[in-house]
Parts: sequence; structure tokens; C-alpha cells
Amino acid sequence: MPELGRAALVVCFGLAVYAVVAGFWGAHTRRRRLSRSAQNALVAAFVCTIVASVVLFVALARSDFSFTYVAQHTSRELPTPYKLASFWGGQEGSLLFWLLVLTGYSTAAVLLDRKAGRELVVWVVPVLGIVAAFFSMLVVFVASPFRTQLAPLNGAGLNSSLQSPYFQIHPPLLYLGYVGLTVPFAFAMGAMLSGRTDERWIVATRRWTLAAWMFLGIGQLLGAKWAYEEVGWGGYYAWDPVENAALMPWLAATAFLHSVMVQEKKGMLKVWNMLLVMLAFSLSLFGTFLTRSGVLNSIHSFTEGSIGPWFLGFICFVVASSMALLFTRLPLLRSKTKLESLVSRKATFLYNNLLLVALCLTILWGVTFPILSEAVRGEAVTVGRPYYNFFLRSFGLPLLLLMGIGPLIAWRRASLSSLKRVFFWPTAFAFAIGVMLIALGAGSSIPGLIAYTFSAFVAATIVLEFVRGTAARRTLSGEPVPRAFASLVARNRRRYGGYIVHAAIVLLAIGIAGSSAYNTSRSARLGPGQSLKVRNYTLVYRGVSSARTSNAIEQRATIDVYRGGNRIAVMHPGKNDYPVEQQISNEVSIRSDWLTGEDLFLITEQINGNGTIDFKAIINPLVNMIWLAGLVFLLGSVITLWPDAREERRLAIRYGRLAPEASA
Amino acid sequence: MIALSVAAALAVFLLYTSIAGGGTPSLRPSTLSGHAGRVSVAGVVLRPITGDAHGAGLHFRLRDKNGTATVPVVYTGTVPDAFKAGGDIVVDGRYMNGVFTAIPGTLITKCPSKYTPKKTS
Amino acid sequence: MLAAALVIGALLAVAAVWFVARPFLSRSDEAPAAEPPPERLALEEERDRALAALKELEFDHRTGKISDEDYRGMVGELRRQAADALKALDPEGR
Repeated sequence: MPELGRAALVVCFGLAVYAVVAGFWGAHTRRRRLSRSAQNALVAAFVCTIVASVVLFVALARSDFSFTYVAQHTSRELPTPYKLASFWGGQEGSLLFWLLVLTGYSTAAVLLDRKAGRELVVWVVPVLGIVAAFFSMLVVFVASPFRTQLAPLNGAGLNSSLQSPYFQIHPPLLYLGYVGLTVPFAFAMGAMLSGRTDERWIVATRRWTLAAWMFLGIGQLLGAKWAYEEVGWGGYYAWDPVENAALMPWLAATAFLHSVMVQEKKGMLKVWNMLLVMLAFSLSLFGTFLTRSGVLNSIHSFTEGSIGPWFLGFICFVVASSMALLFTRLPLLRSKTKLESLVSRKATFLYNNLLLVALCLTILWGVTFPILSEAVRGEAVTVGRPYYNFFLRSFGLPLLLLMGIGPLIAWRRASLSSLKRVFFWPTAFAFAIGVMLIALGAGSSIPGLIAYTFSAFVAATIVLEFVRGTAARRTLSGEPVPRAFASLVARNRRRYGGYIVHAAIVLLAIGIAGSSAYNTSRSARLGPGQSLKVRNYTLVYRGVSSARTSNAIEQRATIDVYRGGNRIAVMHPGKNDYPVEQQISNEVSIRSDWLTGEDLFLITEQINGNGTIDFKAIINPLVNMIWLAGLVFLLGSVITLWPDAREERRLAIRYGRLAPEASA
Repeated sequence: MIALSVAAALAVFLLYTSIAGGGTPSLRPSTLSGHAGRVSVAGVVLRPITGDAHGAGLHFRLRDKNGTATVPVVYTGTVPDAFKAGGDIVVDGRYMNGVFTAIPGTLITKCPSKYTPKKTS
Repeated sequence: MLAAALVIGALLAVAAVWFVARPFLSRSDEAPAAEPPPERLALEEERDRALAALKELEFDHRTGKISDEDYRGMVGELRRQAADALKALDPEGR
């Protein structure tokens, strides 16, 4: 069976190379059959990758340890869902997974997309082919998932920290995001190669970019929640290079999603948009490189292996060739319109872009600083939380404010009088909230206070937008409020879906501010019957118990939680011992208060021989806003992604697929 | 206009990193001597591991990943799950009088490699 | 097992080659969908942009972001731009 997997990947590699060569030649010489053939090769590559993936899945499910990969990452005792999820748990398998998603996206993008047009797609195919060829080259020649060996009796098992339901969903979502950014990149390159630098490539890839961005965002939030519950230090983001590797392309993609709106409305920023999509894609490759080569001293960084240099080479190739292409096509991308006013919604989009890109670049600088300083000064210097927090505040807080200002300003120009009128209520509301917060003691952290006040401002503007919009709709159609609201959102999906996403970001800001600026932490060594007081909670330690599961020994401390004299919960923080993997994992206990959104976070740091435990309790106010933000984010993204029949028809007429008489 | 703003932003953070003294030097036990202030040291944990991290202090030796130089370390604070002899760690602290005194809570372990093959027993 | 794997692998390779060669084998020369020339496309984009800008202005006015006088000041210019864009398309035949 491994032979089948290997063979399928070799065929896939051959097909990808053919797609590149035939694709470029066919597009250049305008030979339709050749281009068609190249496109078919891409689709066939997807089928081959599916075959190879099925082979690996079956081997994992059957615990076929003659596959080296299966033996390295699973064991007989491992529950089946984790056996299957190990597909993406190791180097070779995750590369195959990347290839699977890539060829899948490529097939869907060139087959399903009606808006792009032949002239564009014939150039997109070879670009996608190049990326597919690279990854298939890796899994065929450098890191094959189908290496075989003499089957040992049992496999090495899965790392205990990966044995969590999150492992089954976080990596696939992230990959859907990372790999998804390839599609807008390929279309952008295709646009430049074909010389058709009109809006078409943007219109064709809008949903792909949005979907990839959504997956990347949700994937990161799930990763943060996983770290929060599993690693258990009380936090959810450590500015670790691997975390930043996902954040950077997401920030670039966020900037891109906003600036394409400017290009659609004014025809400006064509060059900037090209640069942004190149940045987003390169960062997604770079992030993959960071997590796989031994280049950084990160808690996540893995093998030294031979993968690193290949990735670095490919990234350099991608950046160099796309920049060269951009340079030669510069004349085509020049636009005539200029910015009319510094106080217009268009301008706020620009400021938003500058801030997002600046934040993205500072994170990039922080991540690569150790490597650069080692090369230059001979000594690696790492930057820590203070660096990242400083810039997150410097750029993030103004961004937060802009989210509120942007929608209030008219698109083109805004006069002072209309500004005053429109800003009055949100500003007043924010001011009132600020005063109230100071009275409640939030003045202990100035950035936290600012974050809360700005959030209040933005929340007010979003609510007002919906209210005003619904009112305007009602004067037109006379519908009752709920119907007016529904049709308002349905007719302006991008705008109102976007507002909902902004609301999610506001919740995120509130959650981050609350849990980082206003949290409390207490530690103590407790004997049975002793207690620890944190804020208004009293925690009493009762004892330790032990239990056995299929692959672990679980030790739990019993803690009674009292608040205001009543016992409100019994919690069991402890540790798991995994004999096969020879690892101990910390199992924290979290109690979320639904009324206040705060978490009581208990960690049993050490279980001592004499019956005492070393114990830490953390209170994270409002942290559950972060997870709520994830749900709202999903809702907003889905609304924005939802196909709009009228818009589809309008674009179909414009691109010649429907006769003009068919217009409504 | 755009180029100017980006350049300004770049200037701001370049200034910050150089003025604020940037980050913490990342060292190995063999390169520790001569550094006075707060540094980060990375290496392999050696037996014996004695003491109590939540009491008087956890004592162990740290060795260069690719070398033989070792340094004794005293650590108090949270100990991550994956900490054990033979594992890779990074910890912040100060090197004084031949002993590395760690700053509480700064011990980080490298996640047992997801992407390298583990030794099958 | 090995024999089965080799057979499936061979079938896969053959199917791939056939699928890739298909465009050359078919007799019918499917005419590509008529695509508008780039110049016309640019004009249509211009027209759509002008119309969208007008719609946006109306919306902003109705939701109270632009005062009546601001609206009166801007709507004329936008209407003229839209008319120009439509006229530019007209001589090309609609």
C-alpha cells in the first residue's frame, strides 16, 4: 500500500510540473487546448493527492506500523479519532495535508469560478501549479509520508498535549486559511501576467480571500483557547513565533480586504493591493517555514531537518519573481484618481491599512530579530512581551477607534457640521462609560481604560448604523421593523456583515483588555482543609485523588469554591501521567461565570509527597468575551460571504456572460 | 504620502528597539560568562534535579545543546509539564558567582518535537 | 497487496494521462464565451463605480451622515460623472 501512496504522489508531481510548463506555454501562445490540458492536470493532481491521502488515512486507522510515519505518531492504545488526526500531526503528513488543501482549492477556484474569465484563468493555472509542484516535490523527494520500515510491535504514540479535541479541528482550520491565501495570490499574478489588471481578479477572488481570512481567524482563536485550557499558564497568547506566524498573514489579509474596497470604488491603490496580497501569501509560507526549521529558539520550534532551506529558497523565489513581475507591469497599474480629502471614509481605510501593515511588520521584525542580530552581532537577542504589547497598544488602539470613526464618515468628503452631528451620541456614550469605569476602579490600567472607552464608542456607532439603516429602509418600503432590518442586511451584506465582524473585534478588544490589564493571581502551598482567598472567592483544598484511564493516570486535587459564604462549585485541577509517551501534562480547571464573563482559573502546580499541594489561582475578567467574539466573527463572516443574487447578475452582465437585456 | 507614513512607522519602532535596549540576549551555558544583566539561557537539563520550585528552589544543571559546558541553575516558580532531565529549556535570569539564578516563572520548555521522529522504544 | 497497489497506481497514471490529453483528442472546438475587450470593460467599471457612488451618497444622506446642504452640493457632481460614464459607453453600441 505505501507504494500506491508514493506512486500517486509521483504522478501528482509530474502533473503539477506539466501544469506549469503547459500552462505558461499555452497562455503565452494563446493555445486554448494546451491551457485546457494544463487545467485538467491540476484537477488530476487533486485526485492523485486524494488517493495518497486515503492511503495514509487507512494506514493510520489500521495502525499499520510498517509505515514509519504511523509508527512515529500513533500507538495501538490511541483512540481512533486521534489516530486519524495524526495525519497532520507530523512533518510529512502535514505537508501532504497542505498539498491536499492546495490542490483542492486550485481545482475549485479554476472550475467553479465563472467571473474570472478565460484570459485570466489560463495564467492562474500555472501559478497554482508552481506552488503545487513545490509541495509535491517535498513530499516525494524530501519528506515522504510513505517511508517504510520493519513494523515494530507498537508505535511511539501521540504527544499528550495533542490528545485533545482541539487537535482535530485547529490545524485543519489554520491550513484552510494559510493555503487559501494562495488563491488570491495566484489570481493577482495571473492578472499581471495576462495584462488584465482591471478589477476582475479582485471580484473573482473576493470570496476566496474572505473565506481564507475567516478560517485563519477562527483557527487562531481556537488555538488560543486550546493554549488557554491545555498549556494552562492563565494566558492565551504568548507572542511565540508560531502564534505570530498565523497572526501576520491574517493582519495582511485584513488590510487587503479593506483596501480592495477602495480599489473597487475609486480604482486606486492597485499597486498597493498587489503588494498586500504578495505580502499575505509570502507571510503564510514564511510562517510554515518558521514552524518547521530549527531556525528559532521557540518552544514550538521543531526539527533541524532538511525542510528549512527548501522553504527559504521557495519563499525567496516567490518574493523575487512576484516583485519583478510587479515592476514590469507598473505602467498598467497606475491609477489616475487621487485622494480628495483626508477626512473621508476612504482616508480612514488608508489609515487602517497603514496601521495594520505597521503592526504586521513590527511583529515580523520581532520574530526575525533574533536571527538578524545573531548574524550581525554574533549574539541572538530575543524580544519579549513588552515589545509586542507596546506595539499592539500603539497600533491596535487607534485601529479600534478607526473602526468606529470610519462608518460615521461619508465616503467622499465630510463637512464639519455633519461630523459634529454624527459623532455626538457615540462620543457622549463613550465618555459616560469612561467616567463610570473610572468610578469602578478601571483607572488602574490606562491602556485598559482606553480600550474599554474606545470599545464603547465603536459599539455605539455600530448600533447606530443598524438603527439608522433600518429607519431609512422603513421610510422607503414601509416594512415593519424586523422585516426592514432583515432586508437591510440582505441588500447590503458586505456592509452589515462587516459591521458584525467589527462588533466581534470590539468584543475581542474588551476580552483582551479585561483579562490582561485587570487580572489577579495568587499562589500558596495548601494542606488539606487550608484555604486561599482571591478577590471575592475563597478556595478550600480538600485532598488529592487518583484514577486510571486507557492511556493515563489522572491525579486530581479537590477544591471547594466559595463566594459570599455559599459553595458555588467543586473544581478538580490536577495532572495526567502518560506512561507510554513518558509525559506529564497539567490539567487546569476553569470555571466561567456567565454573568460577569470572568474565569476562575485553578492550577495545581505541584503535588507534594506530604499531602500538600502548590496551588495557583487566577481571575481573568471578561476573558469569555474573546470566545464569544469568535462566534460573532463567524456570523459576520458568513453573512459577508453569502452569495448575493443581484450582485451576481450585475457582474455576469458586465463580464459578458449574460446579455444586457437580462438586467433587472 | 503612503511611503512617508510607512517610513515614519518603521522609524518609530526601530527607535524603540534600539533605545529600550531591545530584547534579552539569548545565550548558552558556554557563552554566559561576561554578561551581567538579565539574560536568557537555553540548554539541556541534567540530573540530578533536587529541591522544590515552590519552596526553597529547584536545583539542576544546564548543559549546552551541542557542547559540554554546564552551569548550575536555581529556579523558583511555575514548572511547565514537559520539564524533565534531557529536555530542552529556556530560562531567564542572572549569572552571578558561577550560579545562574533564574527569574521566577520564566522557565519555558520546548514542546516535545511535533515534527521530529521520536525514538521508538 | 503489492500487486493491488501497483495495479491501482498504474490505472491512476493512465487515467491522469488520458484526462490531460483529452482537450487534444476532442474534435469539437468549443468557441470561448465572448469576452468584452479591456477598454469596454474599463468603461463599464467606470460606469458601475459612478452609479455605486451615487447610491452610496443617497444612502449616507438617508441615514443622516450627510446634511441636506452637503448632499445638494455633492449630488450634482456625481450625477454628472455618472452621465459621462453612460455616454462613454453609448457610442460603443449598447
